[in-house]
Parts: sequence; C-alpha cells; structure tokens
Amino acid sequence: MSLIARNLSKVLVQASGTATLRSLHTTLPTLSETGLSERPDTRIKCTLIPGDGVGPELVYSVQEVFKAAGVPVDFESYFFSEVNPTLSAPLDTVADSIAKNRVCLKGILATPDYSHTGELQTLNMKLRNALDLYANVVHVKSLPGVRRRHEGIDCVIIREQTEGEYSALEHESVKGVVECLKIVTAKKSQRIAKFAFDYATKNSRKKVTAVHKANIMKLGDGLFLRSCEEMAKLYPKIEFERMIVDNCTMQMVSKPQQFDVMVTPNLYGNIVDNLASGLVGGAGVVAGASYSANCVVFEPGARHTYSEAVGKNVANPTAMLLCSSKLLRHVNLPVYGDMIRNAVDQVLKDGKVRTKDIGGQSSTQEFTYAVIHNLKLPRT
Amino acid sequence: MASRVILKKPLELGKILFRNQSTMSAFEIQHKTPLIKKVAAIPVALYGGRHAVTMLPGGGIGPELMGYVREVFKYAGAPVDFEVVEIGDENTDLEYALTSIKRNGVAIKGNIETKSESASVVSRNVAIRNELDLFVNVLHCKSYPGVPARQKDIDIVIIRQNTEGEYAMLEHESVDGVIESMKVVTTSNSDRVARFAFEYAKKNGRKKVTTIHKANIMKLSDGLFLETSKRIAKDYPEIEHNDMIIDNCCMQLVSKPHQFDVMIMTNLYGSIVSNVVCGLIGGAGLLSGKNYGDHYAIFEPGTRNTGTAIAGKNIANPIAMLSASVAMLKHLGHTQHAELIQRAIEKTICEEKIHTPDLGGTAKSTDVVQRIIDNILQADIRPW
Repeated sequence: MSLIARNLSKVLVQASGTATLRSLHTTLPTLSETGLSERPDTRIKCTLIPGDGVGPELVYSVQEVFKAAGVPVDFESYFFSEVNPTLSAPLDTVADSIAKNRVCLKGILATPDYSHTGELQTLNMKLRNALDLYANVVHVKSLPGVRRRHEGIDCVIIREQTEGEYSALEHESVKGVVECLKIVTAKKSQRIAKFAFDYATKNSRKKVTAVHKANIMKLGDGLFLRSCEEMAKLYPKIEFERMIVDNCTMQMVSKPQQFDVMVTPNLYGNIVDNLASGLVGGAGVVAGASYSANCVVFEPGARHTYSEAVGKNVANPTAMLLCSSKLLRHVNLPVYGDMIRNAVDQVLKDGKVRTKDIGGQSSTQEFTYAVIHNLKLPRT
Repeated sequence: MASRVILKKPLELGKILFRNQSTMSAFEIQHKTPLIKKVAAIPVALYGGRHAVTMLPGGGIGPELMGYVREVFKYAGAPVDFEVVEIGDENTDLEYALTSIKRNGVAIKGNIETKSESASVVSRNVAIRNELDLFVNVLHCKSYPGVPARQKDIDIVIIRQNTEGEYAMLEHESVDGVIESMKVVTTSNSDRVARFAFEYAKKNGRKKVTTIHKANIMKLSDGLFLETSKRIAKDYPEIEHNDMIIDNCCMQLVSKPHQFDVMIMTNLYGSIVSNVVCGLIGGAGLLSGKNYGDHYAIFEPGTRNTGTAIAGKNIANPIAMLSASVAMLKHLGHTQHAELIQRAIEKTICEEKIHTPDLGGTAKSTDVVQRIIDNILQADIRPW
C-alpha cells in the first residue's frame, strides 16, 4: 500500500511538473531572432520515460531547461517501471510511441534481482528487444572543471545489447546445476562491428578496439572477434586493434587516454561503461544513447537509479542534460543542443555550483538554475 | 529495386573482401565480365533513422555543387551523414571509394575526370558502375515550367543499360591498321533492364514503354535486346510496348517528344538520347540521373559533364546535383525531406525564376542556393 502511495505522489509530481514550469521566469530572448522561428507545426515530439529512482527529478530538470531555452520539443511522458508494475504503462504502448516519434529520452529503470513474475527478461531488455535497440553508445569524456585522477579521456564505448549474456536463457538442468546461455550470432556481431566503424568514420575517429575474451570463449567471443576483424578490412583508414577484456579494464584505469572507439559484446560493454564513467565523475555525468535502425533512446551512460537520493534534491542532472543536448542535435536542432551543452560546460568550468557527487554542496535545483542562467544564444 | 534478380548466395564476407584487395588495378576491375556479381550482404548503414551515404565530389564543378547539397541538407535537416571520399589520380582512392559505397549502399557523385586517352587508363566512372554492377541508369526528364526551353511539358523516363554494350571496353587491333571494338549484349542484362523498366512503369503509373534499338543493322546484338524486351512485355499486358530505331527516335524526339513515355535502350544510345532530351528542356544543369544495381544505388547529375570550364566561377547550375540529392532522399525513404527540398527548388526556378546563366538568367550559383534555403526555412514543416 505504501508502495502505491509513493508512486501516486511521484506521478502527481510529474504531472504538476509542466504546470510549475510556467512560473519560472527567464529573461532569455527567444530564438526567433536567429531565424529558427517557432510555429506550432514545426515542433518535434519525443517520448519521455522518467524511470525509477532520481529519474523523475532529473527529467524535471531537463524540462525546465528546455522551457527556459524555448526548445520546440513536446514530450510524451510515460511512467514505465519494473518495480512498480501496477502503475507502469504497457510495454507495447511505450514501444509504439518510441517507434512513432523515433526519439526518446529515458531515465534509468531499476532492475530487481528477483523477478516478480518469474520471467527472466527485465523490462529494459524487453524494451530493447521490442525496438531492436542493438547498439548502446556511451561517450566518456573528461569534463571541464571536474578534477579526477585522469585528464583528457575521450573514448566512445559501443556495446551490443540484444544478445550475449543478456539473452535471458537460464535453466536448472539438474538440481543444483544452473546453465546460463550466452548467445553470439554472426549477424548481430557484424552489425555492431559495422556500427562501430561507421560511427568512427562519421565522427572522424582513428581507432576501433574490439574488447573480447576469445582466449577462453574461443567459439562465442571468437565469432564476435572474427566479425570485427572482417569488418575492419572494409575500413582501411581506421586502425583496428583487439584487447582482452581483463587487460582492457586494467588499461582503462591506468592509461585511459589510449582508447578511442571500443566495440564490445553485451556484458563486457556494461562493465567497461561503468568503469570508464567512474573515471570521469560517475553515473551522474555521462550521457549515452541506444540506437536501432530507426530510433534512438537517449539515456544516461552508466545505469544507476540512485534510489537512496530520491526526494533529497542532490542528484546530478549533468548526464540527463547532456543526453538531451545529444537528442536535440539528433533531431536537427543543433543550435539548442549546443546551447545546452555549452551552458553545462560553463557551469562545470566555473565550479561554483556543483552537486555532491563532484565535490560540491549544491542541490539539483541550484545546478539546473545555474545552467539556465548560463544559456547563451549562439553568435550568428 | 523492384526488378531484382536475386542471385544472392550466402558467400562469406571474407571472399568479397579478398576480391577487392589492393593488388587489383582499376583496369582489371574494368575487364571483369559485366555479368551479375554476387555480393554478400553487408549490414545496412542506417542508425537511429540516419543514413550514411558516400559522397564522391569528382572533378570540375563537382566539389562546389556538393558543398551546396550539404548546405541545403543542413537547413532541411535531412537525416543523412555524408562520408566524403575524394578521388584523386591514385587508383587506391578509387578502391576506397568502392569499398565505401559497398558499406553504405548509396552514393551521390559528381563526374570524375579521366584525363588520359591512353588505352591502359579506363574511365573511372565506368569502373565504378561496372564494379558495383549498376546495370541500369534512370533519367527522369521533366520540364520545369518557367525555364526557357525548346519544348514544353516533356515528361520522359529514359532507362539505359549501364554496364555493357559499347561500353564493354573491349577493343583491340587484330591486324595492323584494323581495330575491332566489341559491343556486348547479354540476355541476362537485357532481361534485367527490361524488367526494371516495366516494373518502373507499373509502379509509377506509366502507360507506354518504347525500346530504342538499331536491330535493322545489328541484327544479332540489338536484335537480342529487342527480343528480350518484347518477351518481358508479355508479362505486363497493361503496359503498351513498341519499339523504334535510334535514328528515327532522335528525329521524333526533337520534333514530337510528347509521344514518348518510358524508353529503354542500350548503353550508347542512352547516352545520346539523354543528352538530346536534356538539351530540349534546358541544358545539362537541371536533371539528375539514378544508377541502380541489385545492391547499390548511385545518384548523379543527369548528363555526365564535369564542367571544368566553369569551375570556381560561381555560375554552375546547382539544380542537377540538388535534384540528384532529392532522388537519393526518396530512395532512402525520407520522402518528407525530399518533398521539402523539391518544392523549394521548384519555387525558386519556376515561380521566382532565379536562374543561372545557362538558363538565361543572371543569378550566381550561390544566389540560387540561398533562395532555395530561404524557401526551405519558410516551409511549414520541419521534419527531421
């Protein structure tokens, strides 16, 4: 009962979010001067999944910034959650909405260790499979003004996320003996390898590193590695190297600057994502995106719900804001995207307003307002 | 495209890779049989709704026109990422370009100059078409109202066999002073072209297909082409089919062009006829051509001229390349963006009559492009 009560209040907070936005005063001039004048029919629709934990707070922060910047994006918000199945919107509805809008901004969904229904697939996995969101791209980049052990990290981790260890095929064949199947297919391996190389080509990157464990899993990871090697031959201008996952993690913490684009199977990608995120400031500052052929879901790169901070107004909205900036660039609104990105960079560089996770004392709201105050029209 | 002859065999990826190793010169690529090539499927370069497309600017006015295309795409928000491959004089560039097109599946291309006339150097345009097996070239010649031209309201589709015929590049001097040049016509390629033409006619609601030939002189080669198209025509009883000899066809085109609808022809005739029709409706700067194979598609300006003489003078007509980009967007399925740009082009040259010197106007290329961009920004839709 208390669970439902908490959820209800959460939903109400989300609903009232749009109303309170209007009270926010901004002195920012509208973008009509730059030629991107607004007409109601030129607005872009985007699916919004606030997610669990601090997700709704962070999404609220994004909405405030969008409102202040006058971004012509309308959100279609869905409450989608595995831990609150009673209130969650059905998977089909959400998937249809994303397929229609082709873009989605998503918080993190909590994935409980024990399934309520006995199903092995988590809601996240179901959504990915429903939309075939096969490629997860996490861009790990050192942020200005956030001092960490390593400087100048700039790597992109591309992770296959529809097969491998996440195939949800586990069974107990004999009592006390559990088998978990890891599926690797040539088709999906080639697809993710090509994605990585095309990403490198498009973003003029120099090197692609395939992370694997083919010395142990000679057939499974061997197939993945072979697919990457074959694909690499189609890209003579991009350097290709392979690295075993254990060595890769060691290199990552000792010399992370050596990495450029990395392509990994599912589980290794998950681990490397989190490791790399930790190097530049944690789950609150790294943006990511999941791609299918036709749609993109923008979500924070390291997946943590930070549920212990719910309602405390301390979570860092940087990751979500950077996601939204990437989203705007994707839907051909680069002016707004750069505006938000620059504002976030400026706030971090100034270092006056910082959330707890990067060594400050400010609240989520203060950070959001600082970003809004730093929104600057691009020089045209 | 619709008329696919599916001969895909689950080849290993490695084999085709091996085939394109750098040991092979463009000349060798050229002399491979112009028959159907088997290709292993490479995953499509479509990510989150954005396509990756190879851009080959080529020589002459190519680079400036490509600049305009990118500018227009930026403002129209077309979800296409270009991979620009410059082709210099090295053959390695050509191989890289081919690899890039194979990866992306789609390319937009200016004309690439092949300056040499020596026999060992082959035209790289032809090399690209042959290696990618782009067996058909489609040129939709449609008059723009408001453009001064000899003939009004022309709407002809020219479908041209693109990989064999006179362009088979098989020439030799058998005896001193006697040179033989071979024209190759194959049943399989004639069949593919004819089927493509009828499918095209069916899909686009066209009424008539005319086969252009010279079977009265070249009874076997052109005869085969004609016979094949007659045979295919029987499968499409709803579409009228007739044939015409090339010399007569040229005369009819300049005197009574409205009798033609869809035309199919072999390689050289296609080159001639498409230039005739382009001349009728306003010159080389207006039309775009589409090259299709079973796996790849290349879009380019309709008449294949580099325009070296007017390069850098800001007077080249950007319409042809922009039309090619519109055709490319349609091919990729981004119809909204295609229509947005198409309408902006039509408004600019038909209503506002901003023309470059080749159409009798005084506007610079950049003026035309700027006007098109303004029209795009004024449009009521903003697809992404």
